[in-house]
Amino acid sequence: MASAPLADTLQPVELADGVEIHLRVAGPAVRSVAWLIDLIIFGITLFVLWLILLFTSAGIGMQTAMGLFMLCAFVMSWFYNVIFEMGKRSATPGQRTMGLKVASVSGAPVRLPQSIIRNLLRVIDFMPMGYMFGLICCLFTQRFQRLGDLVADTVVVYAEPKESKTKAIQVNVQPQAPSLVLTRAEQAALLQFLERAPQWSDARKVELSDVIEPLTGKTGLAGLSTTCSLGLWLQKGGNG
Amino acid sequence: MTPAHFETENAPRWERLQTLLDEVEAGKPSADVEELPLLFRQACHDLSVAQHRMYGPRLVEKLNALAITGYRVLERRISGGWERLYFLVFREFPRAVRAERGLFWFCMAQFWLPFLFLAIWTPFDPEWAMSILGPEGMIQMEMMYGRGTSPMDYMREEFGSNFGMFAFYIWNNVGIDLRTFAGGLLGGVGSIIIMLFNGAHIGAATGYIHHACNPETFYSFVAGHSAPELMGVVISGMAGMRLGLALVKPGPYDRKTALVLGGRRALVLITGAALMTAFAAVIEGFWSANPFPPPIKYTVGAVMWTLTLGYLFLSGKERHAA
Repeated sequence: MASAPLADTLQPVELADGVEIHLRVAGPAVRSVAWLIDLIIFGITLFVLWLILLFTSAGIGMQTAMGLFMLCAFVMSWFYNVIFEMGKRSATPGQRTMGLKVASVSGAPVRLPQSIIRNLLRVIDFMPMGYMFGLICCLFTQRFQRLGDLVADTVVVYAEPKESKTKAIQVNVQPQAPSLVLTRAEQAALLQFLERAPQWSDARKVELSDVIEPLTGKTGLAGLSTTCSLGLWLQKGGNG
Repeated sequence: MTPAHFETENAPRWERLQTLLDEVEAGKPSADVEELPLLFRQACHDLSVAQHRMYGPRLVEKLNALAITGYRVLERRISGGWERLYFLVFREFPRAVRAERGLFWFCMAQFWLPFLFLAIWTPFDPEWAMSILGPEGMIQMEMMYGRGTSPMDYMREEFGSNFGMFAFYIWNNVGIDLRTFAGGLLGGVGSIIIMLFNGAHIGAATGYIHHACNPETFYSFVAGHSAPELMGVVISGMAGMRLGLALVKPGPYDRKTALVLGGRRALVLITGAALMTAFAAVIEGFWSANPFPPPIKYTVGAVMWTLTLGYLFLSGKERHAA
């Protein structure tokens, strides 16, 4: 059941310290939502600014007010993301809401030159409309990188690498060691099965546990309980 | 050693690392921060061990998160600030321009050939220029530089309008520079189109003014800011072409690596070009519309051209250059 690493959002990166870390890259859907939130914030900010300048224009002159507005619009439209990506969280407010951040492909924090490049090239990603190029590029790269990300060597990742919570799941089975050595992907599959099983109907659970009949040697409810036993064994740290 | 044993034995170290990392991230590092690199390397080692011995996803994920945070904290760099900016403006950028001699002349040709052609040809046959400018463009030209105007006219009445125009030039001209750069990602085609069109448009305007307006008003207005502004256009085209060439002709690298490397070189060029154009916007906003007699304007213009070209060709000159 271990498949080729085709569609995995966990991207391995080898650090200079000789260790491999895994980054969880974020896909186009969640990034679009983050972008929409940013767009709304952007619009509201400009609108508020416009109101303020409208009221102060009597004092500083209409032309000056228009000029200030144009300067702010220029800075915001080209450097909104850069300003926030240089912040401590490396994320725009929208990305922060969605739990995302921008990082180097190497896992290091994004740097100013990278941030400028990826955001200047946003206009190309937007072409011909609605981030079409960006989306196509995302779908054809392993790490969901749009064109700007490719040139800047950056990725958008989930900010907090999720630490799996070991909820005490009430399963009436005894932990049981698997008869084979399982790969990490297989172990992860078993553990996630155990974690997510309460959300599924019994028929669905059985259907899924039947898939690993070669491992459990059983089908139906017996197979399900063996699957749970194996999962439980792994969850307890693999030592009974 | 069982996973549980491994975890209980090392957990204090991980917790210590986590505490130190939290402190640094919060901006309040304690004196113990010196232990950080050591603890980080140990945690990396633990992660490798846990991965290799398959100690289960929970433990591996936990250590993975620790390693990512540690790496992020240790890799955080402090930018050079003003010193870095000075270095970029007076050394790195002009050097980068000189290093791309071929691209420089290519982009000069892309911009200046259509410009010269239309500027010279239009007085004989204004139809091309007219169709490029359109009726609104022609009306605008005649309003600003028409036969009835003279260089001594006040073009703007107050400070406010000067500032307003300055802001407009930043918004418009620097925006065009940035787009010219970005257009390079389309294999250079975007940059070329913008440069050609820019050259043609400005050339058409110049030619049309010779045909129908008062050239003296025009030249005394543009003299001061033309040098940094037009060279900014050319160099932003170079930045775009650098990016486009990385895509079209990656050389010894694969395309993705070539793009990353090309992007780094292009960034220096576009930053400099944008700064030049912003500088031009300052002159255009606050100097060019002042009612000084044309000889003064032309002198300033000549000085600006000398300074601009001198800056590009001489600033931060490589020591070993022949």
